[in-house]
Amino acid sequence: MMRFDLTAAPADLAKLREELQHPGSGGFCAFEGWVRNNNEGREVSGLEYEAYTELAIAEGERILAEAAERYGVLAASAVHRVGDLKIGDLAVWIGASAPHRDEAFRACRYIIDEIKHRLPIWKKEHYLEGDTAWVACSHTERAHEMEAPHLHGHHHGHTHTHEHHHEVTAKEFTPDYSRQTRLRDVGASGQAKLAASRVLVIGAGGLGVPVISYLAGAGVGTLGIVDHDVLDASNLHRQVMYDARDVGQRKVDLAARRVAALNPSVQVQTYAEPLTAQTALDVFAQYDLVVECTDDLASRYLASDAAVLTGTPLVLASVYQYEGQLQVVTAVPGEPCLRCLWPDMPAPGLAGSCVESGVLGPVPGVLGTMQAMEALKLLLGLPRPADHALQLVNLLDGTSQRLPIDAASGCALHGGCVAVARAALEQAQADGDIERQFHYLDDAIAAGYAVVDVREADEITAAPLHVTSLRIPSGEIAACSLAGIDGPALLVCASGKRSTHAARTLRQRGVDAWSLAGGVAALAPGASS
Amino acid sequence: MTRVNLQYYAQLREQAGASTEQVSTAAVTLRDLYDELRARHGFTLPVDALKVAVNTQFSDWNRALADGDTVVFIPPVAGG
Repeated sequence: MMRFDLTAAPADLAKLREELQHPGSGGFCAFEGWVRNNNEGREVSGLEYEAYTELAIAEGERILAEAAERYGVLAASAVHRVGDLKIGDLAVWIGASAPHRDEAFRACRYIIDEIKHRLPIWKKEHYLEGDTAWVACSHTERAHEMEAPHLHGHHHGHTHTHEHHHEVTAKEFTPDYSRQTRLRDVGASGQAKLAASRVLVIGAGGLGVPVISYLAGAGVGTLGIVDHDVLDASNLHRQVMYDARDVGQRKVDLAARRVAALNPSVQVQTYAEPLTAQTALDVFAQYDLVVECTDDLASRYLASDAAVLTGTPLVLASVYQYEGQLQVVTAVPGEPCLRCLWPDMPAPGLAGSCVESGVLGPVPGVLGTMQAMEALKLLLGLPRPADHALQLVNLLDGTSQRLPIDAASGCALHGGCVAVARAALEQAQADGDIERQFHYLDDAIAAGYAVVDVREADEITAAPLHVTSLRIPSGEIAACSLAGIDGPALLVCASGKRSTHAARTLRQRGVDAWSLAGGVAALAPGASS
Repeated sequence: MTRVNLQYYAQLREQAGASTEQVSTAAVTLRDLYDELRARHGFTLPVDALKVAVNTQFSDWNRALADGDTVVFIPPVAGG
């Protein structure tokens, strides 16, 4: 609902507000402009508005549509009075409802600023002394022009290029890289290399924040940023380029805005969906270097496989409480990848994460900064150790050790990194179409899935699920009718292997069957016993 | 008995309650040693989820222990 009206009679505010109710809206913001008793030192007794009605309505509706486009509001309307008004009368009313309050506030501000600036409405003030004057409404400051270039916050497309948002600031700012070009190994030629570089950062969280900040500051030409999350208040202790006002907004948008503010000469490309086995190779192929900064093991393995298959260097890091691990995958034949070290992805429940175990803010700060350093070394061709190592950093006792990785004892034993990565990616592509990830089965049920436990009776006794489930051992699933199930079935086993196989079997019979990725082991601790 | 220096990372450090310790063990291989420690500290991670390094080199679990070895157990971590 988007409507702009001009009216000679007082507006029905309750009705206007009512009309902006939307089930998807969590925030509503209204602005009222009133007639005040003075203007520029003169006492005002009342005023009179005159409008070029057709144009004002058309332009008003355009402004509302722009606000929806810019801020993702779900409903907005505005009413402007015309005719004679007394002191205290309502002259203009604006309302906007949006998923989050911030969008509603910003949209409201945008609409009033643009109305004052663009609408063909003239104001005649009546002064206490008896005279009158037409007052210009057009020279108003527009708050959104003072904002960093704003990014569209509500598109569901995967990719946005934000180049056109940079114009305003880019004109006024020339980056000064003198502190780094003064380094003999960098110089003007190094700076030109950075400007020509395209770097993909996967994850704009604890590790990604320093990576994005330093690479943008250094003048990397294009930064790709992948993140499907919105900012949560619990992120702020370690994700220091965001602030409290940003909570609830998409991190890709916030990160792109931050980069535009930090260094307008950097182009940003955002990806609001996670990379998948289907998309990763195409995306990697567009970049010179990838920095993996997620807290997701599957993403790290996918990144290693895609790096090896596209020959794109990759900087990996992960953190746990007070320590971290760092590995550079050069993607050069014969040099080790992630799978040379850890051949298969550990069951998700086995790897420590920040959510479950906690982390002190500076830990990803340090490891992410180290990733940025490795990225710059690779881009600039600075000296790096000749061997390949897993670096362990313990920030409690201040120790760091490099453990050399022997490529000959890794993937080389299984046909080499490329063959291993290709097989893994093909498997992930096949599984991606059948697996669903849930940390809690309650979420699956809420999403409409019927849970089918395909484990054996003794396994179920040892680790029962805490939700209602149908029990059909995987060996019997082929013969079972599943007649009682409405909607999609989510099959669950210990690790996800049997349930994937069983889901394939059921699909051949036309059942809408899915497999819980990683099985019971992937559920949050306590989600089964 | 063999005397070895142990270093723990991540979940293992947490479960052992220390980053380092020195132990005397009758274990012959790294695998035996981990099994022994797992029983003592209640480590939840199975041996095949871990990497092990001896004297700053990654090692095979079947390697025999020698006096004075520094053994590091490294679990995978996923935080970011």
